Amino acid sequence: MSVSYQAVGWNAFKKKYDLLLWAGILLYLAIFSAVGLALNPAATAEILLIRATGTAAIFLLHMILCVGPAARLDKRWLPVLYNRRHMGVSMFLLGLIHAVIVVLTYHAGADLNPVLSIFVSDAGSTVGTFPFQAFGFLALVILFLMAATSHDFWLANLTAPVWKTLHMLVYVAYAFLIVHVVFGVLQSETHPGYLALLVVGFVLVTGLHLLSGAREKALDRGRDQDVAEGYVDVCHIDEIEDNRARIVSLSGERVAVFKYEGKISVVSNACQHQNGPLGEGKFVDGCITCPWHGFQYLPETGQSPPPFTEKIPTFNVKLEAGRILVDPVPNPAGTRVEPAVF
Amino acid sequence: MIEIGLGIIALYLLVGIFIAIPFVFAGAKKVDPGAVEGTWGFKLLIIPGAAALWPLILKRWMGKAHPTECSAHRRAARR
Repeated sequence: MSVSYQAVGWNAFKKKYDLLLWAGILLYLAIFSAVGLALNPAATAEILLIRATGTAAIFLLHMILCVGPAARLDKRWLPVLYNRRHMGVSMFLLGLIHAVIVVLTYHAGADLNPVLSIFVSDAGSTVGTFPFQAFGFLALVILFLMAATSHDFWLANLTAPVWKTLHMLVYVAYAFLIVHVVFGVLQSETHPGYLALLVVGFVLVTGLHLLSGAREKALDRGRDQDVAEGYVDVCHIDEIEDNRARIVSLSGERVAVFKYEGKISVVSNACQHQNGPLGEGKFVDGCITCPWHGFQYLPETGQSPPPFTEKIPTFNVKLEAGRILVDPVPNPAGTRVEPAVF
Repeated sequence: MIEIGLGIIALYLLVGIFIAIPFVFAGAKKVDPGAVEGTWGFKLLIIPGAAALWPLILKRWMGKAHPTECSAHRRAARR
């Protein structure tokens, strides 16, 4: 929601978030290396760094994948979600350091092109010769694409649905990395604890996605909606808290029915920024405020307050005996609609 | 086979870098008004993405329309 793009739209919260994130990462790398050296004094610095950065990246990837569904289930996770892109870029950087040290240690210095060597050094079909490094490389390519397009410039110029589709490739990267770990390090580190950690991570990621998916499905199913003169009866005004919204499905997507200052306005539920759920946000300083990154819209027009330019579709609305009736046909994004007053 | 594939990817990225650099200085401000006064940090950050997605940015750079989001509500909106 920036008039002119900057490298990072810093604020006090983001600074604190990044400080904590990188303090945590550096602490993890230091502890992992120290413990690794204590348990195996023969381990070289390269091996320790490869394993420390690799495990840190995998751990962060699990965090990244869990925080989305966790925030849908419990709003206390929203502050972690707020700056998730920095966590993602940090995870990519750790993966990149891991890959560079691997290439320098195992693939450089020979006649063969080091990148080609990643693909041909393990190219068999048995467990011991499975090309696990190729899977790691392909996962890194996906993570690069995601990190490279993480700036808001790309969101605006690819549009949120295309950007989100591109970033859904993280699940492909996750699958590749599971293969990379199972056929790679777990073939030499046979302690069952390592496999158990990976399984716990997988169960956590899939479990949280299934739980939040079931909740979202129930939301979309909704109740039987009465249609009168083309308007849909969505709920009674008393069913919505002040400065909050009720989310219902209309015309193939969700809408947010906001109650504020004795008025009702209805807008499309998807924020133009990252398609965050506006209806789960609040009415703050005269604006509907997205819970994900704080993008704001005026409820009557669906437009971001000047000088910002984001716009979302609005819906005609009226009240009959306290019931909120919404015209299911959307107005073009940014169209002014008189709120229903009670 | 793998060697040919990696060669094609390297060539693709090389072309991408040659397109990305002029794009961040001239093309970005044409496709997005927010980039007109974009900082040096911003320009640096979008170079990798521009190099990776160069066919798309070239299309945007040569075209006129700013992309609009396509969603069920936007498609169903009254004309």
